[in-house]
Amino acid sequence: MNYSIETENLSLWYGDFQALIDVSVKIRDGQITSLIGPSGCGKSTLLRCFNRVNERYGNVTTEGKIEVLGKNIYDADVSLPELRKSVGMVFQRPNPLPISVYENILFGLRTHSPIRSMTRTESDQIVEEALTSVFLWEDLKDKLKVRATSLQLEQQQKLCIARLLPLKPKIILMDEPCSALDAKGTLAVEELMAVLAGTYTFLIVTHNMAQARRVSKECIYMFLGELIEHRETQALFETPQHPKTADYVQMRYG
Amino acid sequence: MNSSMIPSELRKKIALQGGAVIIGGTVFVFFWNDLRKTAAAHIQTSSTSRISGILPSLISDLNLILPISLLAVLFGIACAFYLEEWCPATSWIRGFIGSQVNFLTEIPSLLYGLLAIMVLFSDPGVFKEIGAFPLAQNANGSGLEVALFQRNTLVFYAETLIFILMAMPIAIKTTQEALRSVATPIRESAYVLGATQWQVLTKQVVPLAFPKMLAGGCRSMSRVLAAAALLIGIHIPNHATGPRGIPDRFVLFLGGALLLSTVSSFLTIESGTQK
Repeated sequence: MNYSIETENLSLWYGDFQALIDVSVKIRDGQITSLIGPSGCGKSTLLRCFNRVNERYGNVTTEGKIEVLGKNIYDADVSLPELRKSVGMVFQRPNPLPISVYENILFGLRTHSPIRSMTRTESDQIVEEALTSVFLWEDLKDKLKVRATSLQLEQQQKLCIARLLPLKPKIILMDEPCSALDAKGTLAVEELMAVLAGTYTFLIVTHNMAQARRVSKECIYMFLGELIEHRETQALFETPQHPKTADYVQMRYG
Repeated sequence: MNSSMIPSELRKKIALQGGAVIIGGTVFVFFWNDLRKTAAAHIQTSSTSRISGILPSLISDLNLILPISLLAVLFGIACAFYLEEWCPATSWIRGFIGSQVNFLTEIPSLLYGLLAIMVLFSDPGVFKEIGAFPLAQNANGSGLEVALFQRNTLVFYAETLIFILMAMPIAIKTTQEALRSVATPIRESAYVLGATQWQVLTKQVVPLAFPKMLAGGCRSMSRVLAAAALLIGIHIPNHATGPRGIPDRFVLFLGGALLLSTVSSFLTIESGTQK
């Protein structure tokens, strides 16, 4: 089995504060991996390294090597738009753009292709495919012109996943994708992830250990910027090897 | 942006605010007439002036507004864009310009008006000393009138500078606020779809922030006009007046200022309702 993301001795500082300490991790292709750990332990920071969104905040120093899909993403010839095209990201709060559902799905494609390169039929088809693969087409086929921010939260979050699909990403990063949703919405998004897992590599950050157990095949436990344990989910939860992991998964910590 | 607001609601707001402006304006005109009568002994109106009527006023208004809107508002907007989008967060430039802008916006426009009078029209004024002050001798209007209407380049530039000093900080501040009002999640979601900074700006940020930026432009122009009206108000004794005794340009400037602030408040209301 191949690895889609590999890091070696990755360290990251926000100003003087070291948020990641020598993280070396290999994420497997085509399955769901979850990142767990207490708040402020660097899970989201690690996630944001993989599409270089961290750099936008300024005052960030990164050391070490990150290889995404076999390519070092800090090489000079890496183009950020291309990197972000192949590594999609879904945020904690659904953040569709304040434009119509239809335009939301096409936004990514439009930024990557020359103006007027798509015909109306093509774009209709792309929207239908994307919405169908997140099981939204039936609900939204009459609401394509509706402003995306007026949908239900669950639909918004699914839309945020749907708008990544036309770009044909290889990896989808999710930063607590279900924390703004209710139980039903969480279930719907989890089911969607399970269906898409074969085609895309998922890396999700979650505070919900039950969720990590339900959806992910492998699990990474982080604590204060260090990677403590990375094993199969079942093994990590049932026979944790590191005492810190045991403390956390058995709810003695946090 | 309009779509988020029910049209009837918008009409109601326009009616309410427009009504307030009209009533306020009418009351003001009446009071002004009264004031003028009581002070009639002191005020010499020069209705025979060569420079009277609405057209010269309008033209000189444009003369005032165009360079200022071009220089101050556009430059202010450019400056705000640089500060918000490109300038690194830790750079000292941001803090320095920020504090200067805050200081300049807090100064009441009256003080700028007085500064303009001091620089341009006082007896030992700067321009007199360098021999560029032949204006006061002109019988047909105040120095300001002539400065605005008969183009003396040096005075014109000085006056433009003062007005720029007044208009630009507001343009910078309001544009910065407008850009900040576009929530980070919107920017982030565009960035992670692979948009470049330019695409994020042109496709998302500017369309969303535009009403507020426009409102900021209107606010700064309204401030300029109000201060200009104030200058004329101070110089009323020897100012050209219209047939009804009210100095045309005074009313015109004040009316312009009122109109612009009304427009600005509409824009703020409207963009306030957007998500």
